[in-house]
Amino acid sequence: MKFHLLKLFLNEFKKRKKKTSLITFAIAWGTLSLLLMMSFGRGLSNQFRIGFQGLGEDLILVNGGRTSMEYQGLPKGRTIRLYISDIDLIRGLIPEIKRICPESYNTGEIKYKDQETNRNVRGVYADFGPMRNTIAQAGGRFINPDDVTYSRRVVFLGWKLAEELFKEKNPIDEEIYINRMPFKVIGVMMKKLQNSNYQGLDYDHVYIPLSTMALVDSQKYIDMMHIQPVERKYSRYVETRVKEILGEKYRFDKEDKYALSVFNTIEAGEIAGKVFMGIEIFLGLIGGLTLLIAAVGVTNLMYAVVKERTREIGVKMALGAKRRHIVWQFLLEALFIFLKGTFWGALIAFNIVSLVRLAPMSYEMTSIQSYLLRPDFSTGILVTFVVVMGILVFFSGIFPALRASKMNPVDALRYE
Amino acid sequence: MIDMRNLKKVYKTGTIEFEALKGVFLKIERGEFLSLMGPSGSGKSTLMNIIGCLDTPTGGSYYLEGRDVSGLTFDQLSEVRNQKVGFVFQSFNLLPYATTYENVELPMLYNGKKAAERKERVGELLNMVGLYDWRKHRPTELSGGQQQRVAIARALAMDPPILLADEPTGNLDSKSGEEILNLFTSLWKAGRTILMVTHDTKIAAYSQRTVHILDGKMEADI
Repeated sequence: MKFHLLKLFLNEFKKRKKKTSLITFAIAWGTLSLLLMMSFGRGLSNQFRIGFQGLGEDLILVNGGRTSMEYQGLPKGRTIRLYISDIDLIRGLIPEIKRICPESYNTGEIKYKDQETNRNVRGVYADFGPMRNTIAQAGGRFINPDDVTYSRRVVFLGWKLAEELFKEKNPIDEEIYINRMPFKVIGVMMKKLQNSNYQGLDYDHVYIPLSTMALVDSQKYIDMMHIQPVERKYSRYVETRVKEILGEKYRFDKEDKYALSVFNTIEAGEIAGKVFMGIEIFLGLIGGLTLLIAAVGVTNLMYAVVKERTREIGVKMALGAKRRHIVWQFLLEALFIFLKGTFWGALIAFNIVSLVRLAPMSYEMTSIQSYLLRPDFSTGILVTFVVVMGILVFFSGIFPALRASKMNPVDALRYE
Repeated sequence: MIDMRNLKKVYKTGTIEFEALKGVFLKIERGEFLSLMGPSGSGKSTLMNIIGCLDTPTGGSYYLEGRDVSGLTFDQLSEVRNQKVGFVFQSFNLLPYATTYENVELPMLYNGKKAAERKERVGELLNMVGLYDWRKHRPTELSGGQQQRVAIARALAMDPPILLADEPTGNLDSKSGEEILNLFTSLWKAGRTILMVTHDTKIAAYSQRTVHILDGKMEADI
């Protein structure tokens, strides 16, 4: 197509703006809804993944339980408890473990000056920090190995509790009392999104070295064992080995599902990942169908346009237009409607997504905002969209265009 | 200029055949002003369409300027229409979205003429039909007579040897019609070949020769 004919087309297209505005709007609307659905779907699963990592990355959480099977003459219904010594035993026997950390928790009375509250007190090792994504805000630190070795009376605070107790004040180096024992604050937790937990969310708790737990709590056994395999692929193997080793030590069947309570976040994460991929595919499908309707709209409009302009096609043929001139005219019209509609739809979608992302983040687990306020407008989505839409429009434009070009000039001129 | 021998056109609708032209012999010399007359259904529209290369005959031969055009493809016929024939229609058939200027320019766009050449030619033609001051107006802003003058300017854009006019005054009042016919007369005097379809003998009187068609056959020249 030569340049001057393109100019002729543009000229006509510009003057026919009103006639094509409705379908341009439909395309823009289709674009907008598809992009928004995909962005929010992607954002939802991103946020879920981030929230899932709030509990910790690739963790196997092991707790004691109650046997449900008879074993070596022992009855069922025995309580199984875990002890600190199990940590070294397991670490020594399973080289596929990267980190392992015990945890003991109980409710304690927290006092700062004249404020008093009851919170979960958790005795942990230094490894708890990186394993559970429990990171200190600037100016503070998490519990370190020396704190555990020397049984230091130091405490790390969940951010929400810190806000409650200290308001605007810097809590670092302040003294708080846990069950009437003084502890020095060494750090405050950085905010994080967390959507799975046991014993409540991390932001409400206080953390002390496990070795000092005896000062505030008389419990001898531990409540939880955190295990992180070297690589994800070992997660199931490590879980089986832990059951075998502990089963031998405490004499329970390794197949007994209730002797230990195990939460494997890797497996749970994989399942959740599939659920969210399903949601994304579902949203994409709905968007795709919306788009298909828009494309059918373009086809329909193009057929109507061809019909409406039949006489004009006849005149152009009489004046020397060749078949390809007519084909290009209608194909270009479909293309331009598509470009215009997609441009506006994408622009509006992009702005909506950017605006929504400006909204402040809520770190409350129950708040829906934390999942809806971080839509993700990835270029991948846009590129896929443009390609799919381009194909749809080409096919919806080519058939009316071919029909127009195959018209008999005599019939076209006679058309009323 | 135009030489038709035993020209036939048969329309087929399913099994039914209709013979619109039953062997037409017609010769038009360069510089003639010819009227074609005939009642409805006589085949005069079919004949006009074939002369204008909008349609192809099913039998016989048609030589336009010494070239047999009966067996050409669509795009080849498009070129012939573009370069050899100027169409003037009863209902003007100007493009509604285009200005006077753009309408006249259109045939040259399909031919790929240079911008400067187009501009000069459009100016020349619009001056000739007296509508240069209306070059930026759309067809809907012009009177019927003015629209037909634009259509004539457009028909002449590629300087075709023959001008085909199908009832050119059919949609006009008598005064505008007279203006159009006077324009044709002056074009003829300047050497252009003109073929005009009409059913009005008064209008046919402007031409130099009149031929009649009846039931798909030519009657003797009058």
